[in-house]
Amino acid sequence: MNPFKILELEPRFDLDLDAAEHRHRELSRALHPDRFVGRPASERRLALSRAIEVNEAWRTLRDPVRRAEALLNLHGIDSGETSSAKADPELLMEMMEQREALAETRASKDLPRLRDLSATMRDRQARVLDALTKAFSHDPQTALPVLAELRYVRRFLEEASALEDELL
Amino acid sequence: MAYSNKVIDHYENPRNVGSMDKNDDNVGTGLVGAPACGDVMRLQIRVDDDGKISDAKFKTFGCGSAIASSSLATEWLKGRTLEEATKIKNRDIAEELNLPPVKIHCSVLAEDAIKSAIEDFRRKQKAKRALQTQTQDDPEPAQEAQETPNAPSEGKRSLPIVSSQPER
Ligand code: FES
Repeated sequence: MNPFKILELEPRFDLDLDAAEHRHRELSRALHPDRFVGRPASERRLALSRAIEVNEAWRTLRDPVRRAEALLNLHGIDSGETSSAKADPELLMEMMEQREALAETRASKDLPRLRDLSATMRDRQARVLDALTKAFSHDPQTALPVLAELRYVRRFLEEASALEDELL
Repeated sequence: MAYSNKVIDHYENPRNVGSMDKNDDNVGTGLVGAPACGDVMRLQIRVDDDGKISDAKFKTFGCGSAIASSSLATEWLKGRTLEEATKIKNRDIAEELNLPPVKIHCSVLAEDAIKSAIEDFRRKQKAKRALQTQTQDDPEPAQEAQETPNAPSEGKRSLPIVSSQPER
């Protein structure tokens, strides 16, 4: 299922998220069950299943990892876990170090340090997202390693924000 | 999702957490990541001159199944030859720990880490042999490691013994 098509949007990585959200809301409203009261059951069923599709499409597109996967899918490129070529050793080394640093802030309950680490990683995320936009506008095949990097970066950020909740 | 008792046991009392000096010629380091979830794992082996793995350590930033898989893997590795170590498969780990299908990639991570640690060790040994052959001024095909007791060997630097970091 092509989420771009469902929301009638141009398939691109640097999607205007506000516009996409707006489209999602519009379509959801138009498909709302309240508007189909008294209509034939088949029509009601159809509207319901379209509403579900629209929701799912928005959930996919708002998440950069899933958006990238959807785009790769459109280009016929397998992005599943089995397709992933061996990660760049340097990237793994960096991520290991960052995760270790994160574990240290848990042990030392060092909130400022934690925020530092997160800020650095968020900058990195911004760069990776830019790189993905470029990759998709040139050669989608080159997006695969960048997407892998994004997954590691986002995993770090998830862990960091969970830790922040814990320390607060 | 319910974890099996064995997973919980390894998760709560992980065996062999820690690290060894990655620059030690007798230590092989495997660093791997799971692009599916963005988690990372480091597994190290110390191989004695008799070719057996005398020690194994790991550090995993991942889910409970990944921690349990790597903990179990380090237990299984000790006392094995490299040849025997390559026979440890993710299937065996997943079976021992009763991992559900969605957690298989976590045990795959452990298998990859073992392979990558062995590769690293072998690569180091090869580089060391090449260095020894090179530094011997003997034009004859080098009979390596046949130094006379009173001649200081050039190729074989004695490596500082760095004790592994304290376990946490
Ligand atoms: S979910 Fe990431 S290693 Fe298990």
